[in-house]
Amino acid sequence: MFNDLPAEQSGLFFSNMVYEDLEHSIINYIYYYNGGGVATGDINGDGLPDLFFVSNMGDNKLFLNKGNLNFKDISEKAEISGNSSWNTGVTMVDINNDGLLDIYVCAVSGLLDFTGHNELFINNGDGTFTEDAKSYGLDFKGYSTQAYFFDYDKDGDLDVYIVNHAVHTNLSHGKAELRNNRVPNVGDVLLKNDNGKFIDVSKSANIFGGVNGYGLSASIADFNNDGWDDIYVCNDFHEDDYYYINNQDGTFSERLGEAFTTISRFSMGSDAADINKDGFQDLITLDMLPKEEKLLKETEGDDAMFNMQAYLKKLGYKDQFSRNMLQVNHNGDYFSEEALYHQIADTDWSWAALFADYNNDMHQDLFISNGILRRPNSLDFKKYVSSAFKGRSENEGLKWLFNSIDQMPSGNVANEIFQGNSETFTNQTGTWIKNEPQLSNGAIYVDLDLDGDLDLVTNNFNKNASIFENTTNKKSNYINLKFSYTAKNKEGIGAKASVYSGGTSQFKQLFKSRGFLSSVEGKLHFGLGTNTSVDSIQVIWPNNEVVTLKQPTINSTVTIDYKKGESFFNYQDETEQNRMFTKTNRIDFVHKEDNYNDFAEEKLIPYQVSTLGPAFAIGDVNNNGYQDLFIGSAAGKPAQLLINNGVSFQVSEQPEFEEDFKFEDNSAVFLDVDKDGDLDLYVASGANEDANFRNDRLYVNENGKYIKSQGLIPDNNLITTSIAVYDYDNDGDQDIFVGNYAELGNFGKMVDSYILVNHSNGSFTKDKNFKLQSKVTDAQWHDVNGNGQKDLIITTEWDRPYVYMNSNGNLSEMNLPEELNGLWQTSMLFDIDEDGDQDLLLGNWGLNTKFNLYFDGPLKMFHSDFDNNGKEESILAYNRNGKYYPLNSKDELSAQMNIISKRFVDHKSFASKTIEEVVTKDAISNADQFTVEELASGYLLNENGQFTKFVPFPKDFQLAPINSFLEMEVDQQKHFILGGNSNKMNTYHGKYVSLKGLLVKNKNEYNWISELGIDPFHSQIKKMETIQMKDFNLLIIISNNDEVKSYSYK
Amino acid sequence: MKINFSISIFLFLSLLACQENKQSIKIEREHYHHAIDKLTEVMVHDIFSPPVASRIYVYPNIAAYQTFSDKSEKYFPLTNQLNGLQNYEAIPVQAQLNLNLASLIAYINVSSELVFSKEIITNYRDSLYLEWKKINPVEFEVSKKHGIQVAEQIINWMQMDGYVETRNMPDYNIFSEDPSVWQPTPPAYMKGIEPHWNKLRPFVLDSASQFKPVPPPEFSLEPGSKFYKELISVYNINNTIRGAGDESEEIAIARFWDCNPFVSVNKGHFMFADKKISPGAHWVGICKIACNETEADFKKSVYAQTKTSIAIADAFISCWDEKYRSNLVRPETLITKYIDSEWLPILQTPPFPEYTSGHSVVSNSAAEVLTDMFGENFGFLDTTEIPYGLPSRKFNSFKDAANEAARSRVYGGIHYDSAVFEGITQGSNIGKLVNEKIDFLNTNAKP
Repeated sequence: MFNDLPAEQSGLFFSNMVYEDLEHSIINYIYYYNGGGVATGDINGDGLPDLFFVSNMGDNKLFLNKGNLNFKDISEKAEISGNSSWNTGVTMVDINNDGLLDIYVCAVSGLLDFTGHNELFINNGDGTFTEDAKSYGLDFKGYSTQAYFFDYDKDGDLDVYIVNHAVHTNLSHGKAELRNNRVPNVGDVLLKNDNGKFIDVSKSANIFGGVNGYGLSASIADFNNDGWDDIYVCNDFHEDDYYYINNQDGTFSERLGEAFTTISRFSMGSDAADINKDGFQDLITLDMLPKEEKLLKETEGDDAMFNMQAYLKKLGYKDQFSRNMLQVNHNGDYFSEEALYHQIADTDWSWAALFADYNNDMHQDLFISNGILRRPNSLDFKKYVSSAFKGRSENEGLKWLFNSIDQMPSGNVANEIFQGNSETFTNQTGTWIKNEPQLSNGAIYVDLDLDGDLDLVTNNFNKNASIFENTTNKKSNYINLKFSYTAKNKEGIGAKASVYSGGTSQFKQLFKSRGFLSSVEGKLHFGLGTNTSVDSIQVIWPNNEVVTLKQPTINSTVTIDYKKGESFFNYQDETEQNRMFTKTNRIDFVHKEDNYNDFAEEKLIPYQVSTLGPAFAIGDVNNNGYQDLFIGSAAGKPAQLLINNGVSFQVSEQPEFEEDFKFEDNSAVFLDVDKDGDLDLYVASGANEDANFRNDRLYVNENGKYIKSQGLIPDNNLITTSIAVYDYDNDGDQDIFVGNYAELGNFGKMVDSYILVNHSNGSFTKDKNFKLQSKVTDAQWHDVNGNGQKDLIITTEWDRPYVYMNSNGNLSEMNLPEELNGLWQTSMLFDIDEDGDQDLLLGNWGLNTKFNLYFDGPLKMFHSDFDNNGKEESILAYNRNGKYYPLNSKDELSAQMNIISKRFVDHKSFASKTIEEVVTKDAISNADQFTVEELASGYLLNENGQFTKFVPFPKDFQLAPINSFLEMEVDQQKHFILGGNSNKMNTYHGKYVSLKGLLVKNKNEYNWISELGIDPFHSQIKKMETIQMKDFNLLIIISNNDEVKSYSYK
Repeated sequence: MKINFSISIFLFLSLLACQENKQSIKIEREHYHHAIDKLTEVMVHDIFSPPVASRIYVYPNIAAYQTFSDKSEKYFPLTNQLNGLQNYEAIPVQAQLNLNLASLIAYINVSSELVFSKEIITNYRDSLYLEWKKINPVEFEVSKKHGIQVAEQIINWMQMDGYVETRNMPDYNIFSEDPSVWQPTPPAYMKGIEPHWNKLRPFVLDSASQFKPVPPPEFSLEPGSKFYKELISVYNINNTIRGAGDESEEIAIARFWDCNPFVSVNKGHFMFADKKISPGAHWVGICKIACNETEADFKKSVYAQTKTSIAIADAFISCWDEKYRSNLVRPETLITKYIDSEWLPILQTPPFPEYTSGHSVVSNSAAEVLTDMFGENFGFLDTTEIPYGLPSRKFNSFKDAANEAARSRVYGGIHYDSAVFEGITQGSNIGKLVNEKIDFLNTNAKP
């Protein structure tokens, strides 16, 4: 679709040539390989967009577009080559409001021997420019990345946010609070336009400007649709990104922590656009996670960040993960991160992200520019090559080191392009653009040949710039919008437009600086596909007045003139009236995890087995007609019994719970074991460092006091996840299924679960006829076939779901569809397809995790004593193109198995090795093997009483593991809520907390719970329950390591 | 290049040998030192932490020493003198056995089992084999067989020392909220090195805790407390000597004794490492210097290295036992948290708990045995760190050097006074025990 035009044809001879010497290299300046920007705009009023290229250390260049993709270099006459030593970003914008585009170029100055300042080239209208930044107060001197012009205070003129970057080595990480201390050069600045003079208002506007602000880009958008433009700033390294909400009074509030739960670590370029047509602008931030197997193993990745992350957390930084993040906007309130689902998370060393409709099919596509001259994070370079840097004084050492930088591996990477359909993205690299490794930094889209489709231009490192001609041409329709706004913002920067056509609408907001170091035209481009007309266009002007245009001419650029006195747009939040749940704080309980660290004990496991609580049980303990609550704790804290009087909850004193504070409570059930009419309590114990506190406990109710029984139940020192109670043998007493999950310290071992048969007196023995060796996550008794006897439904990890049909205590396994091994977390019977029978809902891992990235075949876990040292290891391997590769890095593997260090001395020799090559073929063939064939959550379709096939849920259900389903009546109709997320993961994975909660009516009709008044789920949801209070119903949300939340509803 | 010179002598001699009776293969001190240097080079490449490095040095030395000592009138073998070395069977002497050669072969073969880059050692060995074979094939084959048999026995004994078992024991848990407890330190926040090193079988110590030091001063951030005084003293001393600049004597001392095998440097994404030898390796180097100065013969050199490396290895076991017992936080963690967030120690803080100072223990243990072997006032020019870009330093005695090494840790900003003070005592106790408990020299032997 894109044609790479040679410079000989286009006349576009420009290369960003960067030379290194002893005093000037990536060693002295960490951003030496970041490249330069490119800007476009019609500087001479001939209707054709012209091009400006930034050269880091050489002369900037300006090319006139002569039509037909032919360009003329007018740099010499234009005098825009620049006076700064090191140039970075560029924006074309009319600063002096004369209707001519001026050019603002950012610079790094004051570092090394770099001199100069940010430069403003005023367009004289005759093909010449005059640098005059000082007169406007725009001669900022420091470490600038890029400038973003917008009218933050709605006074009608353009202000500017300048992203600057830190350069101090991250030898010592200061506290996160450092961001509050503004420092020169490094700190970002907000400059207010005061009658043509730009004044620094950063401090009064609450803009951070600390020494730790490694700003590499920003995205401006009215993210929360309140009519005022907000700012998202991408910060590299340990500093969090900043999300500034415009307070509408000249100040901003930074709210990253409230709105975002998963952010990129090495945030580089970014872009904002409404990618799913919900009227809210979404966001992508780029990072540097490689795709290639070899690179993943040769460079330092998130797996190595465990200690660092723990330390940064103490300093006040958020957890960040090195991968691209696609932040989907929910009603302006919060974002859920979906990049792994869309398979756009790992585009390697990525700079510019540009959302646009490249094929004019009415959906936003995504272009990403890539590549770095040398990979400075090569592990072999660090360990084995660079050590020329001896214990000399720093200056001498740097000389030695400089001589070694040629040894760093090259980082040529192909640019990537993804086709969007407003639902998901599909990689079209190699189809739409050539899959050709290179180094591209700044990038823009622009219709250079005015044929209605967007061409791409990249500023390349040490190579000629590229033009990619879009050949969509007349195959699809389009419309471009230009604005003629007020005198001080003629281009209408900040204007929003919704184009209604063919039953859908597309929404965009006009800003110039996008992606990385670069700026696009002052136009909005909308593809129309095969639609031959546009019904209407709604424009919201920067002053929030609104105008509607009917039936504009398509396949043209329509200029919309501002007329005063039109009505204001109503930004009211329509979801307010739907809020059927009201937050209450009726249950005062906070679950806090202990400090046990699974990853210190078993270094290769993908997730913890020690954070599965809290236990939660309901039952009317005091027979007052209201359900009371038992909430268990992590090891080191006592459980609580909360007595419900219909209005509130009171803690019931239970000395034995206090005494047993050392136990970790994973699961609990109230049941009457001894048929004395009161509720006893079975508590399943979780992981515990102390082997004396792993046993399950049965507390017998003696006049309201729970007394730990002795000898009634068999010992169970495994990690237990699930307790399910039912009189399955129909003899009039309560029997118990005990679901075990793991043996502490031996992750991959399958363990026995069992049924405890009640001998009518509260003493139990195991049912000898029932055998299950697996990793049970959840179990429930439900009548599957409607014969009046409840059947047993069990979910497991690294295994399949089990349904045991019950016939008077004889359990027989039901046949389920094949290839269902998964990481199942929970199940529930529900008629999700509304065909009158109960389908079996199954919560799985979801499709938004790193497991999903490399899933060309089942995921495998090998379990064996691989190094014959008497301790069994559990090693995961993923499938890429039919071959299995170890998930763990060489350093991780050798930390558990010393032999790996001998087998592979350097990382290069380890990279690209299959699991068999790594631990030997023999070891693999002798190991126990477990697989995961299905990661999607979904349901088993009930057809005539048989579960005939597995049907995956829609995308919104797949954003993280589902841990819990809860059926509930809403508006007299059956619904269910689903919740999940996982904070258990090792640093290779990071957190998976994008499942923000859904209320589901059927497979097609569902709502985000946040639209109904329930806080979005940011934590690892363990369980949800509803109970009746005197005057209302109560929805209780139980999370691991978080407070218990409750909501009232009618 | 001494070695090349002597190898060319071999070549020359071996040419002669074609005409006459085969010459004997001459193995001198230099050859032994060369093999040690090779091992050091591989260790620096492969990156071994100081305790692991001490283990890599000691076993090849013991193999080399054991090869000739049980045939010697002058030296006693180590059989029954080191923990667990009871069942060593003396290898019978065959005609044309060259004990020095067998000893060197035993050394190299044990070395190759201990490093990651085994190939570098085996390539080195094989090229030597080629030379020796040319000179005198019979003597070579007999000696090789002998050396390998010794090596095998030593390797078997070595493999029972608990090293393998400790490889997959749990990491140090960093999640403690106790401010007195060790935390990973900048810039790499590496895992705590070898938390289970005390589970290794010592050589002479009856247990890892035999010389358990007194506990460190009680943790306190109260200005009057002993602990706080020591903390603030590290801060003040570092600031003073940093003010004096790169040329200051204290900075020179700190850098000279840094001996941190892997100093990570991060400049943005750009990461590199400054690799050096470990504290143990430095004392192996000093032992070499003493042997050279006294023109020790091959056997004396092996003996000196063996005794020194045993003293070093036990010092690490003893010191690491205390490190993960007291689990004391490093000055850098406290100073940057409570006193001065911008502060950096002059040396990079090594990745393990503070108390006691490893260099103090190891240096003093080594100095104790070196003094026993070479005398109290043995002056020497320490050139060990020259290949790593550092100058040489002159010392009047081993103990002078050891005390300076101990002191250097406070100058470096990585230890408090008590760790140094108690470390010195701990180290010299270990060295004295090695002197007492192992009989190396048969004093009744004929001169």
